[in-house]
Amino acid sequence: MRDRPSGFFNPWFQLALSVICVLASELLLKRGASDTANPASAWSWTGISGLASPLVWWAIGLIIISFLSWLYVLRYIPLTIAFPMSRVVDVLVPLGCWIFLGEVISARRWVGIALVIIGLAVLAKPVARFEERL
Amino acid sequence: MTFFSLTLILIALITFVAGQLFLKRAMEFAGRSSFRNPRFIWLVSAGIYSMAISFFLTLGLLQHFDLSYLYPFQGLSIIIISLLAAIVLKEKLTLQLAIGALLISAGVALVSLS
Repeated sequence: MRDRPSGFFNPWFQLALSVICVLASELLLKRGASDTANPASAWSWTGISGLASPLVWWAIGLIIISFLSWLYVLRYIPLTIAFPMSRVVDVLVPLGCWIFLGEVISARRWVGIALVIIGLAVLAKPVARFEERL
Repeated sequence: MTFFSLTLILIALITFVAGQLFLKRAMEFAGRSSFRNPRFIWLVSAGIYSMAISFFLTLGLLQHFDLSYLYPFQGLSIIIISLLAAIVLKEKLTLQLAIGALLISAGVALVSLS
């Protein structure tokens, strides 16, 4: 394993950055899409009208950043660890919708969120062992 | 739910997983040689093409099915990627990693089912 860069170029920081960018982009996309929604238009299904919202452009920028930081993560962390960890975003997005967009989370969804968190906790030990070798 | 749509869902899943594996290979390669290396360029392009195919297939599927119906299949990608990373990329898949991946998959499926 190559020596690990610290600070901004730490692969775990980049993984977190990638996840946060995806989370923020999803929320911005939803806001931007809702702001510009015009169901009467024949083009509404293409999503093109969303481009009129500046929020959508911020989201596109964030998606590009998240892709680049994900590529960087792949350079250092095995997929068996990085990919399952990156799916924490599937929990953060509903939580973000709950906090910022006022959407409701059902009981079944809370159970799913709990399962993902337990899964991440199980991953913590292999991560620690991997970290020792790094 | 027809055989045809199930096939499309599977292809979208497989191209997504293949894209991740290509990109991982490419970035391992990038650590050792320059970014202008033809093999690196080939791997990155293959990765981006696969992900693009998956993206458009998913977009098309979304026009016919609910997101809550399609998203649980995304949970499957965690299991498939972990397995293939172990087989194709020779990464070490410990019991703990496998259990973690299974729990996260189940959680993602539950979150998206409701």
